[in-house]
Amino acid sequence: MNIVGELALWTALPVAVWGMALGFMGGRNGRGDLVLSAERAVYATLGLSFLASLGVIDLFLNDRFDYWYPAAYSSRDLGTFFKVSGLWAGQRGSLLFWLLLLNVFSAIAVWSNRRKNREFMPYVIGVLMTIQTFFLVVLLFAEVNPFERLGFTVADGQGMNPQLQNYWMTIHPPTLYLGFTAFTIPFAFAISALLTGRLDSRWITVTRKWILLSWFFLSNGIVFGMRWAYEELGWGGYWFWDPVENASLLPWLTATAFLHSIQIQETRGMLKVWNMGLVIGTFLLTIFATFLTRSGLIESVHTFAENLTIAWIFLGFMFASAAVGLVLVLYRLPKLRSESRIESFLSRESAFLFNNLVLVAATFAVMWGTLLPLLSEGFMGQEIAVGPPFFNRVNLPIGLFLLFLMGVGPVIAWRKASARNLRKNFVWPTSVGLGTGAILWAIGIRHGMALLTFATSAFVMTTIVVEFWKGTRARARIEGEGWLKAFYHLIARNRRRWGGYIVHVGVVMIFTAFAGAPWNTDIEQTLEPGQSAEITSPFGHTYRLTYEGLSTNINDRAQNLRWQLVALMSVEQEGERVGTVQPEKRQYFVGGNRDPNTGNATEVGIRATPYEDLYVILASVPQIETGMSLNDPSAQQAHFRIMIKPLVGLIWSGIMVLSVGGLIGLWPATEKPRAAKSSPGGRRAVAAAGD
Amino acid sequence: MPNNGRFMVGLVGVAAVVTYLIWTGVSETMVYYLTPVELIERFEEDPSFREVAVKVSGEVVPESYRKGQGELEHHFEIVDLEDETATFPVRYVGILPDTFNDAPDMLTEAIIEGRFEEGTFEATLLLTKCGSRFEASKEQLHDQMQLQEQMPADHIG
Repeated sequence: MNIVGELALWTALPVAVWGMALGFMGGRNGRGDLVLSAERAVYATLGLSFLASLGVIDLFLNDRFDYWYPAAYSSRDLGTFFKVSGLWAGQRGSLLFWLLLLNVFSAIAVWSNRRKNREFMPYVIGVLMTIQTFFLVVLLFAEVNPFERLGFTVADGQGMNPQLQNYWMTIHPPTLYLGFTAFTIPFAFAISALLTGRLDSRWITVTRKWILLSWFFLSNGIVFGMRWAYEELGWGGYWFWDPVENASLLPWLTATAFLHSIQIQETRGMLKVWNMGLVIGTFLLTIFATFLTRSGLIESVHTFAENLTIAWIFLGFMFASAAVGLVLVLYRLPKLRSESRIESFLSRESAFLFNNLVLVAATFAVMWGTLLPLLSEGFMGQEIAVGPPFFNRVNLPIGLFLLFLMGVGPVIAWRKASARNLRKNFVWPTSVGLGTGAILWAIGIRHGMALLTFATSAFVMTTIVVEFWKGTRARARIEGEGWLKAFYHLIARNRRRWGGYIVHVGVVMIFTAFAGAPWNTDIEQTLEPGQSAEITSPFGHTYRLTYEGLSTNINDRAQNLRWQLVALMSVEQEGERVGTVQPEKRQYFVGGNRDPNTGNATEVGIRATPYEDLYVILASVPQIETGMSLNDPSAQQAHFRIMIKPLVGLIWSGIMVLSVGGLIGLWPATEKPRAAKSSPGGRRAVAAAGD
Repeated sequence: MPNNGRFMVGLVGVAAVVTYLIWTGVSETMVYYLTPVELIERFEEDPSFREVAVKVSGEVVPESYRKGQGELEHHFEIVDLEDETATFPVRYVGILPDTFNDAPDMLTEAIIEGRFEEGTFEATLLLTKCGSRFEASKEQLHDQMQLQEQMPADHIG
């Protein structure tokens, strides 16, 4: 199987080049036969990259430690689940995995457009196959071939980093990669639109679902990564503005901007150049993120010489793509003129434009902070770095403004908002927002940023609730339906709009969770079995945690554990027993079992409630280090760090709400959208009729 | 077009605010990011540089770790990745990252942030390199193969 896989990988290169050449030639000469052959090349490369991926999984499952990649990432003891996840655990595999996902999406795009949008398809295939060729060249020639042999065989592999042996870490990279690769489809259509000169909003309409799909996966991928950091890194945080995290956030920011700005182009024929810029920029950022996460370029500037070949190939590709995009946009500039212009400061166009501007500003700020060490070294010969304080300082006000716009944008009128429109739509939300702020102030909340976030969140939530209420009521009256049925039909008839609102609800929940961070509370205490620690929640109640004792699990081959210490703590809330938490320390067998100090893992104990998490870290067990027998109770003395994380659960429930909204928007259409909906006044018609 | 004018003012306003935030953010929160060699050179040029907060990336000196007085006080040494003579002691209070290691045959890269106080680097931040992004080199795998061959079979995991 591995030989077949390796062969498939090599075969894929000429096939991809063939598809690329025929796609472009077929498009240029209008030769359908060439395009057909290019389409078949797309399906062929999908088969080939699938075989190559199977080959890599086969290497892992059969413990082929004569191959570099499994020898460096797997071990005999590793569970089957994690062996399969070896396909994306390291640089080599993850590049192949990227290629596989791109192939899957390419094939779906080609298949679903086999009878329509034919004017775009030749160049779409050409662009997709160019990107595939690029990844194949990297895989085969940049010293990252997953099928590279060692020339000798190690008895056992290095094992997987225990921090990666976590459910969220297993699904986090693939989800992000799904988001990254899905975005190449809109990019390919955009380039095709530029090449063919079909520059109306057709290419956007065709790829709208792809844009949303990509955004859906990116959002989930980022939050899965946060969840992993929260559970596995054991310091109680979920976001650290680490270069790798930032790299995944950058395309998300521009994709979010794009998701909004395309609505202006579709409705008003504006922002054509801007949208081209965003789609090309987002694509480049997905490539940049893949490159950054897997090259270690930023976090360790002093040692990045590890694999310069791949760095140069990636940089070259990014520059070439940017140059081609720029030239095409400049060439087509006369055709990208705006069909209308902004009429008023108080209009939906304006709100969307500000949303875009602010998102791009955030992208710029995050990128600047991330690349600062590299830029300052290059231009000043002096490395300068910024950390979380910088990113928070810049992004908190930006985030707050975005949150505010989220309340304004969807309900303000297109073109020019009348005083009536403003009064009708904003009296209630503004009152609720101000009221929430006043109540929170009255009960003693003085943290400015958090107060503003809570008040703005209430404002946004009210706009959404009022919209749903008005829409449902209007439907119920006009169609004579029951409330529930009317609510269902309301969403079903314009899933894009109402799905979008539900996505906004999820985002508001996540922002609210962020604003809980100033009330994070923590204590540290050394306890012997039977002793207790107390911590008071910002919500007022007190937890009492009693350390019941330590249980051990030594030499557990099934779980690949050298040892495992589990501290059992019973939790009482206001004197009432509510459950237990079990923070752990573990040591995994890694590195071929040779070094007892490697493979430490701290597993935190979390007791989650909807409004706050109790988060306990087993910081150390002093007697373990002196080798005392744990049978002696005093030897079980342990040091704990106990934290309360208010509102953090809203992140995880928020992403679920966001996903529901996203899925509503993504669901295949059952009926043709009515023409009235695309006209500026049409959207308001239903709500207006209800008044 | 008065409306467009107002709109432009808004756009320029947002751009100005963000630029201001980035500018002051960088100047007020930036730290120098240095290797131990560069840090020591800086001291020699300008002794007052010891007061400045810096970020340093280096390697944890094997077997240099010892526990401090409190449960969460840690002492170890950092050495430059390329120059063995550039080394200094570090004190860190907090929970050690899981990937922290001072075993003799491990290379643990650490990034610390803080400043010097009486000859010891008081780290307020300690990050150690997550292994996932750095695969074992061919040489390391080769060394390991030889080690495993010397060990009785039942010792092999």
